[in-house]
Amino acid sequence: MKKSILIAITLFTVVSNAQYNNITIPEALYGTTFNLNIHESIRQIKTGNQTVTGSINNETFWGPTLFINKGAAVSFNVTNNLNESTTLHWHGMHLPAVMDGGPHQVIPSGTVWQPYWTMNNNASTYWFHPHLHETTEEQITKGVGGLMIVNDPIESALPLPRTYGTDDIPIIMTSRNFDALNQFSIGRAYGDYMLTNGTMNGQITLPKQVVRLRILNAELERGYNLGFSDGRTFYVITNDGGLVNAPIAVTRLPVHVGERYEILVNLSNDTVGTSIDLKAYNSGQSNSFPGGEPGTAGQFGSLLNNTTFNVLHINVGSTTTNPITAIPTTLTTNTYLTASDATVTRSVAITGGQNGGAVPFTFDNTIFNIATINKTLAANTTEKWTIANTPNAVFGHSFHIHDVQFKILTRSTGAVGAYESGWKDTFFISRNESVVFVARFADYSDATHPFMYHCHFSQHEDDGMMGQFVVSGPLSIAENSSTTSFSLYPNPANDKLFIKLKDTATEIYYVTITTMQGRVAMMLPQPQWQNGIDISSLASGVYLLQMMDKETKSTTTRKFIKN
Amino acid sequence: MNRFGYFASILIFATAFISFSFIAPKNKEKEIKNFSLKGVDNKIVSLSDYKDAKGFIIVFTCNKCPMAKLYTDRLNTINDKFKKQHVYVLALNSMDTLAYAEESFKLMQKKAKNDKLTVPYLQDKKQKVAKQFNATHTPQAFIIWKNNENKFIIKYQGAIDDNAGEPEKVAHHYLIDSVDELLNKKNVTIAKSESFGCKIYYRGEKNKMN
Repeated sequence: MKKSILIAITLFTVVSNAQYNNITIPEALYGTTFNLNIHESIRQIKTGNQTVTGSINNETFWGPTLFINKGAAVSFNVTNNLNESTTLHWHGMHLPAVMDGGPHQVIPSGTVWQPYWTMNNNASTYWFHPHLHETTEEQITKGVGGLMIVNDPIESALPLPRTYGTDDIPIIMTSRNFDALNQFSIGRAYGDYMLTNGTMNGQITLPKQVVRLRILNAELERGYNLGFSDGRTFYVITNDGGLVNAPIAVTRLPVHVGERYEILVNLSNDTVGTSIDLKAYNSGQSNSFPGGEPGTAGQFGSLLNNTTFNVLHINVGSTTTNPITAIPTTLTTNTYLTASDATVTRSVAITGGQNGGAVPFTFDNTIFNIATINKTLAANTTEKWTIANTPNAVFGHSFHIHDVQFKILTRSTGAVGAYESGWKDTFFISRNESVVFVARFADYSDATHPFMYHCHFSQHEDDGMMGQFVVSGPLSIAENSSTTSFSLYPNPANDKLFIKLKDTATEIYYVTITTMQGRVAMMLPQPQWQNGIDISSLASGVYLLQMMDKETKSTTTRKFIKN
Repeated sequence: MNRFGYFASILIFATAFISFSFIAPKNKEKEIKNFSLKGVDNKIVSLSDYKDAKGFIIVFTCNKCPMAKLYTDRLNTINDKFKKQHVYVLALNSMDTLAYAEESFKLMQKKAKNDKLTVPYLQDKKQKVAKQFNATHTPQAFIIWKNNENKFIIKYQGAIDDNAGEPEKVAHHYLIDSVDELLNKKNVTIAKSESFGCKIYYRGEKNKMN
């Protein structure tokens, strides 16, 4: 008897003294111009040796959170200080393909890439991450990426928690494997250790009131069947691309790779000093739920597979001033697309994956080829896409399409969940399932530069489960702009370099500045060149400026000197 | 068809590979040929300059890598510890200077001055020495030791130790322990450990720099 009490006490002590670490809240950046410096970094994740990571600005795993207002003209100076090339993709954003940061917008080491666009997206939580073909898994593993939070007048007028880091918390979920010297090891689909915002055994103190969690599944493959340890109801307020019409009450929420959900959790009735846990209830999941496989080792095993594990330990703290104390009853009025809006119908078949992945997963039996455009869409068109993971399906996938937010119409396996009834850019498709969605490809036509659709499982994507589509516009009037001749002034230049076009009707598609040794220094998609190009960041020396004509895609090069 | 078939094929493959490894010659000693590189003091340094050298500790490092930066002081300490016993530390920068502006010779000089680096900091501009070693990361340490035929043989490669950020908490001093063993005419117990840090990419090879 005494012995069992002792054991019970010991067990209790071990459990209650579990070493929780305060989760990192990434730095918030506001404004319309964002300077993002991607670099190798180091982070104390486990005890012992530090882990080599990749990060952005002052963070050491996942970068800063960018706050952007809808309607703002945003521009970025993305500097790649990694030892290798990368890209930075703005996941969920509606923007010109040449700004999208997909596999074509390669940023070589040491180069500044300057994309810009007008923020069209609705208030929600988005993210950015590398998208360099065959390298995505490795660079995401290192933690290159971050959140973008879009605000708009509709969201701002609602009584919702929005004090970042206090009652409005980013939760970036992923798991990792480590080798003997605490370095990330890659190759396995699932990590053995849960990292919440890059922190193991993460905890946070949240005020006794309604709090908002902005959840991103930034995994390589694992899905999370989220819920709270006391089984409480919580409320989904956004899908990937915006607010849902009204909060959706759930007790479990499956969140798959690439998906974002904002949820409200009411802690008003909790006692200060108590705690609850946000958990992944992945125990008992089927073999086709990513991470449901029962093995603990090997390519598709991990210590967390088919178990229920902690995502975040929440300590209830004091109420703040002006707390949100109730869940709103309505949020917005979405006008969703319907099947009858679609004038074009397409199908994409999920194929491959046989022999345990020895045959790579593909779409339509076609492996990704960066030189092949798989689909040509017309701008100003609404399309209905059927993604079929059948017949002979091997596994589930996280399907993501760039450029648009879509509405899921049907799932062949049953009703579309209320929790995923809003605007989406990513969804999970299980084995032997077909999913139909409708999307509007409104504008940003570019007949040559493609967007991607792909499985968001990094390994599947890197192995070629990706296709490309272009959105083509009305045929441009063939004026046969005969020359893309231009000159640069002043030359030598100090901080600003101006372009003088011989034919003023020429539209500049891309400007690349390289050193005389061939190292790319700046990449300027569709530059706003009229007011001069800011070259103040360049070291003194001789450079080549290559200009690509928008219509002919021909390039012309001029030399200039930077003082 | 199912994912578990994968394990079977891996297992068969691994078994075949392991059997092959046993047949293959084990621990083939790799010789490092003399090399000459320019140091930050503009003087050319060669292995052959060190007439009394029993061995060298060659550390591939660079200016920019945060992991490499954590080991700068330790390079000085390790050199101070062993130079009296005729084992010398040489720090090599083999990064592609065309790819990385931050790895220029000028910035190497600046780093050596700012960090009070007391060991020679040499530029392997053509990456030839790094290729001879098959260096993969910064920092990455190699011990080369003079054998009976006056040839330098790789006796250790890998990490300097197992805690980059907190030197006081190091549990395994892989590099120092191996040098001690060699000085005591013993075999190196751990001849290879994992290297971690920033990757070295070789110019002209198909890699992620493209």
